[in-house]
Amino acid sequence: MKKILLVAALAALLVPLVVQQPASTQGQTIAAQRRAGPQQGPVPRLPDGTVDLGDGVWTGGGPINDIETEGGLKKGEIEALLLPSAKAIMATRDVTQEPHNRCLPMGIPRVTPFPYRFVQNYTHKKPTHMFILQEGNIHSYRQIFMDGRKHPPDVDPTWYGHSIGWFEKDTLVIDTVGYNDQSWFDRRGFPHTEKMHTVERWTRLDKGRMEHVFTLDDPGAYTRPWTVRFMATLSPPGDELMEYICTENNQYGVFSIPGWAEKFGGKPQ
Amino acid sequence: MRTKLAVLLAGVSLLCTPPAVVAHHAIGGEYDLNKPITLKGTVTRIEWTNPHARIYFDVAGADGKVVNWNVELAARSALARQGWTQRSLNVGDTVTVEGVLARSGVNMVNARSVILPDGRKVFSGENNQ
Repeated sequence: MKKILLVAALAALLVPLVVQQPASTQGQTIAAQRRAGPQQGPVPRLPDGTVDLGDGVWTGGGPINDIETEGGLKKGEIEALLLPSAKAIMATRDVTQEPHNRCLPMGIPRVTPFPYRFVQNYTHKKPTHMFILQEGNIHSYRQIFMDGRKHPPDVDPTWYGHSIGWFEKDTLVIDTVGYNDQSWFDRRGFPHTEKMHTVERWTRLDKGRMEHVFTLDDPGAYTRPWTVRFMATLSPPGDELMEYICTENNQYGVFSIPGWAEKFGGKPQ
Repeated sequence: MRTKLAVLLAGVSLLCTPPAVVAHHAIGGEYDLNKPITLKGTVTRIEWTNPHARIYFDVAGADGKVVNWNVELAARSALARQGWTQRSLNVGDTVTVEGVLARSGVNMVNARSVILPDGRKVFSGENNQ
């Protein structure tokens, strides 16, 4: 009897160890596990009932190639809203000129094949900031003020702008102004101006999925506000942010595209 | 060790599928997807880096002249998530690289696959993370 108890106790100790083995040691790579589809299970919560976004890294949740079709719209729907000035800017763009080819940020709401992580900062009283740590491209972060402050009346434009956030049930709402006009929404080159105001609504649907509803109002580039929808996926257990230093060995265009050196300089970054 | 030439310029296969690994940029801007190429040579250098890992290898042309080629792979982090490490290949290994040529015509390819003499493919296989 004693022996059985001992074995049972040992087994109880070992089971969680086996379950918590890093994914790579189970013989399946992170890439293979991702292909199996989103994880199942209920929305994880913090002790106060708030949705817990800190339990892993996420991929997806934004456009890469085409914000219209990837965002749930028909081809041409956003294009039809472009002001003439924005249309003219878009017409000059080709895929080789994308800012991130030169290791500049992807901007919002665009995503990359690389994951990101929501990290909340607390004091003993309340959350103060939400950070979105991005593996790439580029290795950077977004800072969202969660302490109830408002946007300043005058913001110097930046890539990620000035963001304030709050929770509405299971939805993290991020309101951002103060963008510069540099980033592209996708490889087609949809533009925006410094007048852009965005509202992101990130709703955790279950363990493995988070919906992102993105609404943009940019009277400098579009005739009216528009909304696109995306789905982010929680990466498999064992996946973590990895180092991604884009300027480490970026040779984009330097040797491969005729005339690149004359335009952007002749040395690899 | 001198490798045998094998520069099979590609009219051979117009079925060139784009490189299967996800990159941080669109491949087509830099590389001509209609110019597939297969090269065989000896690895001289491995750069296990971002935004792309690269290998460099010596390839002997039909005239016997050896030329060093620059081979673009996926991001180091993307390769790691597919289970590869920088020890998956060594300097001195003979490899066959299937890829597409740089638009400028320099000795540079974006690799679709890197194949060892025994047929095993490295830095590929489980693609599209």
